Amino acid sequence: MLIGIDVGGTFTDGVLFRDGQIVKSVKKATQEDNLKNSLLQVLDELLLAQDKEQIQRIVLSTTLVTNLLATGRGEKTALVMLPGYGLPHDSYELSGDIYFMKGAVDFRGREIEPLDKGEITELLNWIKDTGVKRIALAAKFANRNNVHEQMLKKRIMEECEGVHVSISSEISGKLNFPRRAATTYFTAMTISEWNRFVDQIEEALKLRGIKAEVQVLKADGGTMPLAASRTKPCETAFSGPAASTMGGSALTRDKLNSVVVDVGGTTTDLSLIISGEPLYASKGAVIEKQLTHVNSFAVRSIPLGGDSVITAQGVQPYRLGPAACFGGEKATVTDAFNIHLNLNLGNVAQSESQLKAIAEELQMDTPSLSARIVEEVSQKLLAEVNDMFRQWENEPAYKVWEVIHQRKFALDRVIGIGAAAPALVPALAALMQVESFVHEYSPVANALGAAVVRPTLSVMLHVDTQSKKYTLDPGGISGTLEKARNFQLDHARAMARQHLHIVGKELGMEDYTDDADFFLEEQFNMIRGWDRTGKLFEVGIQVAPGFIKEYEGVKI
Amino acid sequence: MKPTGILFFPAFDWAISPTHPEREERLLYTRDQIFEEGIMDLPQIREYKPGLASLKDIARVHFCVPNVEAQITEAHLVSAGSALVMADAVMQGEVRNGFAIIRPPGHHAMTVAHGNRGFCNINNEAIMVEYLRQKYGLKRIAIVDTDVHHGDGTQEIFYHDPEVLFISFHQDGRTLYPGSGFMEEAGGPLAYGTTINIPLLPRTTDTGIHYVLDHLVMPILEEFKPDIIINSAGQDNHYSDPLANMAFSAQGYARLNETLAPDIAVLEGGYSVESALPYINMGIIMAMAGIDYSNLREPDYKPGRLKEPASNMERIYKIVDTQLNTFRRREEVIEKNRRSGQMFKTSHESIFYDTDYISESQRNELRLCPSCGGFRIINSSARHPNGREYNIACIQLPIYACPGCQEQARDAYTTMNSSDIYDLVYLQDRVKDEYRSTDTRSGEERIL
Ligand SMILES: [Zn+2]
Ligand SMILES: [Zn+2]
Repeated sequence: MLIGIDVGGTFTDGVLFRDGQIVKSVKKATQEDNLKNSLLQVLDELLLAQDKEQIQRIVLSTTLVTNLLATGRGEKTALVMLPGYGLPHDSYELSGDIYFMKGAVDFRGREIEPLDKGEITELLNWIKDTGVKRIALAAKFANRNNVHEQMLKKRIMEECEGVHVSISSEISGKLNFPRRAATTYFTAMTISEWNRFVDQIEEALKLRGIKAEVQVLKADGGTMPLAASRTKPCETAFSGPAASTMGGSALTRDKLNSVVVDVGGTTTDLSLIISGEPLYASKGAVIEKQLTHVNSFAVRSIPLGGDSVITAQGVQPYRLGPAACFGGEKATVTDAFNIHLNLNLGNVAQSESQLKAIAEELQMDTPSLSARIVEEVSQKLLAEVNDMFRQWENEPAYKVWEVIHQRKFALDRVIGIGAAAPALVPALAALMQVESFVHEYSPVANALGAAVVRPTLSVMLHVDTQSKKYTLDPGGISGTLEKARNFQLDHARAMARQHLHIVGKELGMEDYTDDADFFLEEQFNMIRGWDRTGKLFEVGIQVAPGFIKEYEGVKI
Repeated sequence: MKPTGILFFPAFDWAISPTHPEREERLLYTRDQIFEEGIMDLPQIREYKPGLASLKDIARVHFCVPNVEAQITEAHLVSAGSALVMADAVMQGEVRNGFAIIRPPGHHAMTVAHGNRGFCNINNEAIMVEYLRQKYGLKRIAIVDTDVHHGDGTQEIFYHDPEVLFISFHQDGRTLYPGSGFMEEAGGPLAYGTTINIPLLPRTTDTGIHYVLDHLVMPILEEFKPDIIINSAGQDNHYSDPLANMAFSAQGYARLNETLAPDIAVLEGGYSVESALPYINMGIIMAMAGIDYSNLREPDYKPGRLKEPASNMERIYKIVDTQLNTFRRREEVIEKNRRSGQMFKTSHESIFYDTDYISESQRNELRLCPSCGGFRIINSSARHPNGREYNIACIQLPIYACPGCQEQARDAYTTMNSSDIYDLVYLQDRVKDEYRSTDTRSGEERIL
């Protein structure tokens, strides 16, 4: 038995999945101030009259980290930056007071300016004086050489008791210093609260006698063990939209080009599946208006849902309760679709009478008004979907090959997810002249997606054979090459793969590391004068989002 | 304020040859630097995707022998096409200015293209200029070539064009490739004074170039009143460049772009791939986007280390005087030339393609038209590396050509087509935006 629970902003969804079927599903309003309770309530209901021994795996998706940051409840954290030379310091808008220090390395990982001893002493005194207990440290090009970050971390840990330090080279190995700094800062701010949450969940599961493996869903549509999430809370942000996208993918499991339309009460989330692979946000997830290195799907959230209110001015971007046909007091988008498409949802007469009031105000009849609303909603969604395609087609390219082989997206299908999907999605698909896919499980596809996705893992290796140095991500590992002279791309591939296996083993995902593929392979000859003096390699290998081996699709 | 457009196309899969300065690695460290800085994420920046130039875009400028396809690789189409993407973004008001950081470069490529000269096959800026005139009806265009090498290709292409002001500062041609760019090269008889060369002595520093900028380049631009300013932005004036001997810094380049305020900058040369390019590119981007660049410098930069030799400044004062005079006398000189009584002005050139080892000889005829800049007929012959000898005739009709020139040029094309002196006859009819070429042996005509 598999359990997937998605704690969303409005609702918490959970499913119990066995033999290709959802045996049970639960939906509860989320208690915003107590996500743990919301989660456990749903879990307990799922477990009612079930044999706990039969549960193999539980996957959780929660908005805890996003909520902590959005509501300003993150832990007080000092951000220390070593930006070296380049952009002015005021271009970093992460926090009101950033502590800037000297010390710089370049793109080859060479130190171009040492740390300043006097400044280190000042920093240590400042930490002691302010009593701050969390430090986020980020240095430019620390992904190529983290000597300054390591040195400062060591000094702080030695001399400031009880102070925790997160360093950017351990958070991400990718280029982009401001994103790495933001990710490190948000990690430091949420790490203790997230750990408290993990403690509580572990305890609650123990109390219930559940011994199943527990995984947390990440924004990249894969899972990681609950224990491993303790050091990487930010990866859990935006797992909700990932759950929906993977849910849509789980229900279809083919290689078509689809747009996943997750219609909620007040918002609709759009994401793309291209040849069966969910599309990633090229710039990483945006958390609190900051781009980060959190790998997430390209999700576009539109303030338009099934419960969006209709007035004489058209569709409004807010909700005032459920649709009229489901006992609400206002005409909503769902009511318009109900009338126009004869969906026979709930109390049709209520849809009719609420819409009629507005129609009269506009001196038109109810069917015309409904038709107009359906058209407006569909056109709005269509415009957003088209804009997403265009954006994907216009992603920058850095190789001749990529430009010559222009991306062109031809949509095959719209996949509807969420409670209001059956009402809205077929009409949208018809307008786009593509196939519509709405499944009986669509309303809980997010929880289903969480239940059946496999772990993901991405490893990046940077090798410089001239300096004989390499760096590996994750972990901010660096070392010296033993055989730099004849080092070739194959060696780089093997090194990256080996690291993937090591990290994969630590994460208990040995079953999946053999499925890894290279997503990045760069090699450059370094020429000085007219001679080759070395080679540079950048290799990335990943276990991409997918499904656990036990999952063979749904049976209905 | 509108953002600055950046089009970064490092062509990581293209090189002239594995160890050539124009190789895959050239913009690698620039990529590392601008990506690590997070430049593309800034609200002041909008990143663009490369585009493809069409064969017609190229035929608008070049007579490619025997045809456009033979002179280009896909990389050239992308590089030139990317300059056009940047031009569109600026002209359509999406960005306030734009910087195309692209390879392969183009400023040594001339009107007739038999092969590769100075790492260039086709001229990205010239293709962009003719595109801007054709698509947006721009009249007056200024190109400031800030590469250390004389932009001889761009100069030749616009030498007879009074509406395109070409200013090039570079290391003196007596000490550096391509050995041209002297002050006497001031434009054709009907376009005198809109080619301005500024040959600087080796070891010229930021001080010298800013004097030139403030006292010569900017005053000329102010008087010329161009619709658009293009920076043909080479980065090989840097003190660390291995192919030249100048002493500019990254800050100097940033300030140059702040002063010049080009609408579009297009990368040209620059081969100090590690020590200069990452920092100069950052500096240009920051200056164009209005970002404070005072915290930018090269790791080995020591303020005050680079001092302008007094003899360099003496030379600069003279250049400024001479060239201000050249520019301001232009109308007077052109009027005199026009009234010389000649119908055509003939000149001979020999052009060497250093990369491909081709020697071309040219005969140029310019119609000394009483009412416009005149049209041009180029007879060119060269033996290609494959052993084949080409003798071609090229008729170039500028976009501003008067009806008289149009008629004569089109007639000349028809006449030459039926003679067997030439292997290929071309008509570059920019008035109609139509580009014809005829293979005289087969009689086959191609129209782009
Ligand atoms: Zn150059
Ligand atoms: Zn004329």
